[in-house]
Amino acid sequence: MSAPSIANYIVKRPWLKRWMTPLANWYTDAAGYRKLGLKFDDLIPEESENVQKAIKRLPAKEAYDRVFRIRRAFQCSISHTLLPANEQIKPEEDVEYLSPIIREVEKEAKERADLETLTLRK
Amino acid sequence: MLSRSSISRNAPRALAAGRRAMASAANPTFQYDVSEASGVKVANREVGGATGTLALVAKAGSRYQPFPGFSDALEKFAFKTTLKRSALRITREVELLGGEISASHSRENVVLRAKFLAGDLPYFTELLAEVASSTKFADHELSEVVSDLLKLKQQAVYSNPESVAVDAAHGVAFHRGLGAAQTPSQSTPYEKYVSGDALAQFAQDAYAKSNVALVATGPNSADVTKWVGQFFKDLPAGATSGQYKVQPTQASKYFGGEQRIPSKAGNAVVVAFPGSSAFGTAGFKAEASVLAALLGGESTIKWTPGFSLLSQATKGFNQINISTKNLAYSDAGLFTVTLSGQADQIAAASKNVVDVLKKAAAGEVASEDIKKAIALAKFRALESLQTLDTGLEATGSGLVHGSKPYQIGEIAQAVEKVSEQQVKETAQSFLSGKATLISVGDVHQLPYAEDIGLTV
Repeated sequence: MSAPSIANYIVKRPWLKRWMTPLANWYTDAAGYRKLGLKFDDLIPEESENVQKAIKRLPAKEAYDRVFRIRRAFQCSISHTLLPANEQIKPEEDVEYLSPIIREVEKEAKERADLETLTLRK
Repeated sequence: MLSRSSISRNAPRALAAGRRAMASAANPTFQYDVSEASGVKVANREVGGATGTLALVAKAGSRYQPFPGFSDALEKFAFKTTLKRSALRITREVELLGGEISASHSRENVVLRAKFLAGDLPYFTELLAEVASSTKFADHELSEVVSDLLKLKQQAVYSNPESVAVDAAHGVAFHRGLGAAQTPSQSTPYEKYVSGDALAQFAQDAYAKSNVALVATGPNSADVTKWVGQFFKDLPAGATSGQYKVQPTQASKYFGGEQRIPSKAGNAVVVAFPGSSAFGTAGFKAEASVLAALLGGESTIKWTPGFSLLSQATKGFNQINISTKNLAYSDAGLFTVTLSGQADQIAAASKNVVDVLKKAAAGEVASEDIKKAIALAKFRALESLQTLDTGLEATGSGLVHGSKPYQIGEIAQAVEKVSEQQVKETAQSFLSGKATLISVGDVHQLPYAEDIGLTV
């Protein structure tokens, strides 16, 4: 799911993080997905086994809300409008809700692959 | 060639030789050493050999579950992902060590079992402790794995008319508690109760130190106590509060009655009466197991119907199976006669069941048959304790239910002491009290209690 990222490099260096945070906030806002009522995790491409599995593991309420946000964004996109300001996603609402599950699924898949290719030395 | 007279001369001698008292003190491998390690009861039988077995018996069977399906789900969650390692890793590790792990549950207990090479005792003790104390009960595991396993179990149980009938017999006889279905039927709305969080709370109580016992056979007692003491320290110590607690024991009461369940899976009839509870408890009556052996229905020897009254009386019906059992629990028992097979033959043979019982109540039974029944009942009792499958659970169940651990010598004596009079009285009490009659299958042909002369 992940593209190459320098986020970890930056987060490890507090001075760099302080310097980059306003820039990152501006960039994320300018990306505009929040104005369509989406969260960042809604943008993760679904076309992979791991993500599909993670979506199935979402709690019922989260899964419903996700579908609602995506359909609302579709309508906005078709009608070439943005949501009214009070319905847009606020930065503090834009939290990871799917990524932790995807990471867990990936960890399981990796463990399975590792165990499957295990060599025994006695 | 053997002459007839030489057989008859030797037979009594063979019988007398077989009746030699079971020298339990001289045969220490039959006995369990009972001890306690960090608050957990441990019973071990040193056998000395290349393999060992360890079982964790928790008092959390369907009788004690707060809502339907909890014991089943707890059983299916055994050896699934824990906080320390995943289910896959547990499976692979056990495969590498060459062990065998399994879980099961009965009306009273949930049992986790591990069989292993003698040297792997520490690993498997740690595994059982980990399963009991830190299983994750993840919601996704419940929906992806456990609920499917549960559905398969339901299908297996409810496609067998006999198990449906025995389950219904418990329900009619004991209502709640022991009467709760061992596995919820497909039409039971158990999904609304079962969730990861609820199960986690139930497990905390089910696997509490005071609620479990460990039973081992094979390894040396000092080792077992040592490893159990080390790994089982972290089990939750006592009861938690909340609605998902293990339900407190309520004394079982026998009600009795009749139930008819139409089914296409096959036909079964269960005639049940209040039986004897497990050995070592207040309600233990050895005569019930003797009467079960006397009524019988199943032969223990090939190519012969056997001596039992029911198999003699139903010789003509070759499309049915009959078996008589005393299902013993910690404070009650159910004496069941199960008939399964073709509906018309069951209908006819179920009359014979009552006739035979009347004969036993009137004392019209040859004393030789009673002697054979006593010998068979004794054999069955002792064998069930010696066999790993049944013996481990029986011993652990005795420990967690607070009765004394099984002593093989005493059981043998109790069964031997049963007199003809006691058997007669037991049969009379069955006929005078309320019976339980369950008919499953083609209820158009299967009998009502009235038809076969039972009062319900």
